[in-house]
Amino acid sequence: MSTEAHAERLTGTEWDGGALPYRVGHRKLGMWLFIVSDAMTFSAMLIAYSYARASSESWPTPFPFNPSILFSTTMTLCLLASSFTMVMAVKASAHNHLKSARRWIGATMVGGLAFLILHLIEWKHLIDDGLRPFRLADEMARHWPSAPPLFGASFFSITGLHMFHVLTGVLYLGWVALRISKTRHEDVEISGLYWHFVDLVWMFVFPLIYLMSVDMTGGGGGGSH
Amino acid sequence: MALESIKGLMKKTDFILMGLCVLLAAAFLVLAGSNVARAGDFLTIDSLFFTVVCLLLALTFIAIPAMTLRERGMLHNPFAIGEGIAPARAAEDVHFEGSTKLFFYVLLALLVLTLVEVLLAYFEVPLTLMLIILIGLSLIKAALIMAYFMHLRFERMSLVLTLVPIMVVCICLFFIFFPDSFRSHDLRSNPVAPAAQGGAAH
Repeated sequence: MSTEAHAERLTGTEWDGGALPYRVGHRKLGMWLFIVSDAMTFSAMLIAYSYARASSESWPTPFPFNPSILFSTTMTLCLLASSFTMVMAVKASAHNHLKSARRWIGATMVGGLAFLILHLIEWKHLIDDGLRPFRLADEMARHWPSAPPLFGASFFSITGLHMFHVLTGVLYLGWVALRISKTRHEDVEISGLYWHFVDLVWMFVFPLIYLMSVDMTGGGGGGSH
Repeated sequence: MALESIKGLMKKTDFILMGLCVLLAAAFLVLAGSNVARAGDFLTIDSLFFTVVCLLLALTFIAIPAMTLRERGMLHNPFAIGEGIAPARAAEDVHFEGSTKLFFYVLLALLVLTLVEVLLAYFEVPLTLMLIILIGLSLIKAALIMAYFMHLRFERMSLVLTLVPIMVVCICLFFIFFPDSFRSHDLRSNPVAPAAQGGAAH
């Protein structure tokens, strides 16, 4: 197809035979629809967590500012930085600088892997403390005796699902980086969309799960919300 | 000749659809207004929810005629930035807008907002107040990521309107569960109250 004909097909109005009313390819539209549905999955989980928390008499707030919150802030910075490098990768790919695009994607994967490793270290600490999906760690149970045992369930399921998304994203980006000379620019952009979405979800998980669970009283009481 | 008549028909269907959209938008606006007027205590979850849903639906319906008017040059976007990018006219195969500087500023804004959130936790702001501020800041961050990093700001408006309102409405609908969670919280914290009332009635 000649460039002009292609351009006409892209820019004509819907009634004039414009074949792409959204002016994005079907794969990109598909990724957007997936992102919308995935956003609903995550919001359903976060709302379920908020529901359990708001309906309970007390809820554990076990994360001390230093080290837990600082640790998870570092994870957030890793993810934000990797989102920025992904933007640069898409930009490089748009200008057909494949080598530099591949390097930027590599940097993004490093950010994602750093996030994963930090997150797993944190999980290991919590599991070593005795936190289980349906059982509080002994220390938490002592400080918040009337709290339901759901803290572990909400924490592990929400951060676990997010971690799974990060892992999938790293693998996906690796695949795109390997095949970057064979794929079209839009495919790189689509992988970028997915990666930014993973970042976006963390922008809600981080405040709701971590910052709202900051230990304010040195383990004394706990807010009802 | 045949083409002309088809175009005329299209114009007519366009006109009817636009009129229908405007009517529906007006109806939802009236519904929201009557709710505000009739509700004695406006600041309840039910009342706010109903009003917001009505306003959102009105906005969704008015968006299509407004965009058509804008396309024909009869309406100017007051929120347009700069000289107006007019994405419909950019016809290159690979179009990419936004400079490194812009993305850097977005990253900077995201970092600053994250810092503010962490500082809230550091200064031990009361949890309910903190929750409200955190949600507000997170929504701003999500909007920044979607608009610039996910490039939605530079896509066609039709894509944005297809994706964003439905997502927002569906997520807002989840909030319908919260009155129930507050109710069970109340039941848990004062389990004596109903029994005491029953005792008083005897």
